[in-house]
Amino acid sequence: MRIFSVSHKTAFVVDHCPYMAESSRQLIECDMLTKSRSQGVIPLAPVSKSLWTCAIECSMEYCRILYDVYPTKKLVNYIVSDSEVHILNSWKQENQNTQELMTALAAVGPPNPRQDPECCSVLHGLVAAVESLCKITEYQHESRTTLMDTADRVANRGRIICLTNAKSDTHVRMLEDCVLETIQEQNKRAAGSDRLMPIQQCELVLVHIYPQGEETLVSDRQKKELSSVLSSEVHSVRAGRYLAGKLNVLVQQHFDLASTTITNIPMKVRLTEEQHANTSANYDVELLHHRDAHIEFIKSGDLHMAGSTSRDSGLKETVTLKWCTPRTNSVELHYCTGAYRISPVDVNSRPSSCLTNFLLNGRSVLLEQPRKSGSKVISHMLSSHGGEIFLHVLNSTRSTLEDPPSISEGCGGRVTDYRITDFGEFMRENRLTPFPESMVDAACRTPVERAKFQLERHTRYWPMIISQTTIFNMQAVVPLANLIVKDTLTDEDVLTCQKTVYNLVDMERKSDPLPISTAGSRGKGPKRDEQYRIMWNELETLVKAHVGTSERHQRVLDCISACRSKPPEEEERKKRGRKREDKEDKTEKNGKDTEEKGWTTDSERLKGVMEREKDEQSECEIIKDSPDSPEPLNKKPRLATEEQQPPEKSKGPVSLLTLWTNRITQANSRKHQEFAGRLSSVNSKAELYQHLKEENGMDVHENGKATR
Amino acid sequence: MPTVVLLDSSLSMTRPVSVEGSEEFQRKNLAVHGLTMLFEHMATNYRLEFTSLVAFSSLWELLVPFSRDYNTLQEALNNLEDYDKTCLEAALQGVSNVVQQEWGTSCPCQVVLVTDGALGIGRGSLRHSLQTVKQRVDDKKFPLPFPFPSKLYVMCIANAEELQATDSMDNLEQLINLNGGEGQIYTMEGPLCLKSVQSMFGKLIDQAYSPFHAVLRCGNLTSDVQVFPRPEPVTIDEEVDPIPKTVQTEGDEIGTGATDDTEEETSTNQMAGKSPNFCVLLHGSLKVEGMVALVQLGPDWFGMLYSQADSKKKSNLMMSLFDPGSEPLPWLGRMSQLGPASDAAENPYGEDDSKSPFPIQPKHKRSYAQNVTVWIKASGLQTDVQKILRNAKKLPEKTQTFYKELNRLRKAALAFGFWELLKSVAELLERECTLLPDSAHPDAAFQLSHAAQQLKLASSGDSKYAAFEQNITPMLTDFSGGGGADRI
Repeated sequence: MRIFSVSHKTAFVVDHCPYMAESSRQLIECDMLTKSRSQGVIPLAPVSKSLWTCAIECSMEYCRILYDVYPTKKLVNYIVSDSEVHILNSWKQENQNTQELMTALAAVGPPNPRQDPECCSVLHGLVAAVESLCKITEYQHESRTTLMDTADRVANRGRIICLTNAKSDTHVRMLEDCVLETIQEQNKRAAGSDRLMPIQQCELVLVHIYPQGEETLVSDRQKKELSSVLSSEVHSVRAGRYLAGKLNVLVQQHFDLASTTITNIPMKVRLTEEQHANTSANYDVELLHHRDAHIEFIKSGDLHMAGSTSRDSGLKETVTLKWCTPRTNSVELHYCTGAYRISPVDVNSRPSSCLTNFLLNGRSVLLEQPRKSGSKVISHMLSSHGGEIFLHVLNSTRSTLEDPPSISEGCGGRVTDYRITDFGEFMRENRLTPFPESMVDAACRTPVERAKFQLERHTRYWPMIISQTTIFNMQAVVPLANLIVKDTLTDEDVLTCQKTVYNLVDMERKSDPLPISTAGSRGKGPKRDEQYRIMWNELETLVKAHVGTSERHQRVLDCISACRSKPPEEEERKKRGRKREDKEDKTEKNGKDTEEKGWTTDSERLKGVMEREKDEQSECEIIKDSPDSPEPLNKKPRLATEEQQPPEKSKGPVSLLTLWTNRITQANSRKHQEFAGRLSSVNSKAELYQHLKEENGMDVHENGKATR
Repeated sequence: MPTVVLLDSSLSMTRPVSVEGSEEFQRKNLAVHGLTMLFEHMATNYRLEFTSLVAFSSLWELLVPFSRDYNTLQEALNNLEDYDKTCLEAALQGVSNVVQQEWGTSCPCQVVLVTDGALGIGRGSLRHSLQTVKQRVDDKKFPLPFPFPSKLYVMCIANAEELQATDSMDNLEQLINLNGGEGQIYTMEGPLCLKSVQSMFGKLIDQAYSPFHAVLRCGNLTSDVQVFPRPEPVTIDEEVDPIPKTVQTEGDEIGTGATDDTEEETSTNQMAGKSPNFCVLLHGSLKVEGMVALVQLGPDWFGMLYSQADSKKKSNLMMSLFDPGSEPLPWLGRMSQLGPASDAAENPYGEDDSKSPFPIQPKHKRSYAQNVTVWIKASGLQTDVQKILRNAKKLPEKTQTFYKELNRLRKAALAFGFWELLKSVAELLERECTLLPDSAHPDAAFQLSHAAQQLKLASSGDSKYAAFEQNITPMLTDFSGGGGADRI
């Protein structure tokens, strides 16, 4: 159904003139209980509803079903007419509920039979209804504003349901003429207004209500076009249950509803108050819902096969489906092709309320198509979500989704060490929750945009497999890893991160083992100090990814850069004699002297002053993913930076001159091979005759290679 | 979506086409060549789609039922025999039956009709069928439009000029129109040869069988994916919003919630490789955690990803598309209002994961969840009156329930303008008062006459007593101190 079809706006006009106070002459015995028990008591006279009461309760029933199935976008404007017009609500969505209408109706009260009939008429109400249909609804307004230049696509159509007691066919014609005239008048007015829209199509449904046992003075008439804008139909109905049946049929026609009867509902019954004897009996409950829930039956033409029966009114059909013993099997859900809101026809009958309460308590019911042959076909399911019951359509034929390939057959399916648990944790951290409409943050981002930004932040560095990462396998890194992805850090957060770093330094000093994967590498894998270097590099990569977020994030990186340069003495002692580590010593000696300043060079680097440095950095990031071969390349940028920055110059803020000199020096250094002595110098002081102390000249050689 | 290939195997398909300097071909050979090309394409790019083969002449026959086995299809194609005249209507009816029996009426299907455009003569010809289309009785309706959503592609082993020379082209166009305009006619360009049949089927493949490749993105984690079946564009409201919505190829995974529902399928493509893939990681974690991931498919169009396992314990990543719109699942609320839970003042899932912000409750309860009063049937009214009387007999223990039921009835009667009922119930209560046994608690009499009096006042319509929001409260008596402790 298109959103702005005739069903978007329904104006109810109910006649409140003195004649509506007349009795419907349908008698209701309400003195039942006493009759059976105490003899000798004269039972009270039965009560009877007035025409007004009949009209009200049937129209309320129409609205109840409408609001159950369409909680939004199908609007009702309720108008009561006597000597004047009482408009009980507006098109606003917040006014669309039966409680509000009931309150307003109570304030109007029943018609006053002593009112002067001369000045009372349903005409006032019809005029008001036309005026009301011209008023723009919030949905029409919203659509018009969003469509801008194609705003004329937003149509204005509506329906007027008039419940009255007409005098004759001529009287009916007079009412129709009046509506037509008013539409023409109002459309002229609406053309020149922003808040009004001309009516393009209007359906007038006149329901003539007359007391039981009387002859009708008005004849039924099928829908007829009175003009290009207005069509009209007349229903002449006896008050009481005939009227209720008529409005039930109308609400189904007007809103594309269909009926399903759930049969064979087992229900415990208490026979009488005193007996308490529990027996079980099977009950039927009829539900209304959008007719698309029956689309499969309608299209395949076996509506009848599905157990459809025509009932008393002749117009109404219902599809019978059989209750299946409740069970929840998630496989059934996967073939669900649609869910439709329901409304019970007989809402407060005991079988209905038993079924609805059962469903509202979170249980589901599968429904089966009754078939003559043995095979059992489950075609629907009833289940509630958030206090609303939905009729779910299940695919009962073969599914094109059958036998899908396993994900392990696809790309990346052979990899076995995915960080499944970690990503589960990640998902839980990134779960969504509804926020109120008004909540927009400082940057005017909607909640969903904020969620996407958060995902972006959280995935800047997120290795997918265990063997690709060291830090995410370490409990000690968790506090920092959790904090660094945050949009803002407090000083306390920075402190926690720093503590994490100190803790790692401590681990390194104690030479604690690291959970480095040995997969893919030959032998035992990298040595302990190499492991730490891998770890520090990875940690730096993680933090660098967030360094632009805030100054506090930068401080965390500064801390790492400062700390990862290790205190040399013990390291040196440990490494003495290990040839392969000799080049390390150089770094560490440098580090010792520049320990304080190490971070300034790093931050300089990040400022992107030197292009070459940048290149090296990105090179660095490529390598960190592979645990197999990071070593020699990783050393390169580190050594290069430290060599080319005279330590005294990196103290304090860096001047433009320093930057420029550095750049020139660096450029020049590329043009010639550096003196071996200067390369291995500490504070520009080279130790002579090193080869006498060392067993060979490997280190020099290696350093030469590194600055090539 | 499944495909039915409907192949014309009438005698006219054996007409030779003149090819210079090479062996002689029949039109049938060209048709088989084109279909072979289609099947090869599907076997490589559309492995998961089902295809069936129906041959027809004056009768029709299902040669291969819906299958993913393209070898079988190819084999059947190679062993095709020649029959008599073309009788399209019966064949289309056959297609309709075959599809409905297999997939029902909601599964969209593509029908590829391969014919030489000689559509028969006399009774049973397409011309005859179309001429009589309006004079059918209910059980002899023309099979188009198909009851299931469909696209009808007509592959003509003939060129356009040849078809336009007779009324064949008009008839085929009429056929597409009968199917709601869903479909297309392809003709061969230039001479009838292998090359032009290839180019014609190439166009069909581009139009209807191009694989759907997309990128699944979760922040900086991405994965290339192929989606089966291909998600088709959707038009929701052709009046206000007539442009069909298409799925963007950049899927943004937004975050996770917890729900249920489905329609379509995703699976990663089969590029060999041992490099880690985000889809596999996501699938694994969704499966272990029992969660679903929301995925954005375009502006105001969402879906969800989850792990689905079949009976053989093979599981894969599935994507279900929701109806396009800002609020596809009412119990999730407006999609744009879903934000990171960590932004909330208090963790909506609870510190120990014991809570959930979903489902969202609607602002107003539905009628079946709020104890509404409906007196359309006399029994509804009688039950309500009896409830009051039953409680009246158990005063003062049931004082609260008695007044609750009394007020419910009062409110409804006032709204319906049913003052007569109020008077009547007042009388019933007064009579109940006179019938009280001697053993009755003295409070009972006080409450009954108080309630009766209040109902009578309300039935006068006097605004002081008939206000809807007002309730009748229990009378405060010397005894009610003891009677006030009953349960509601």
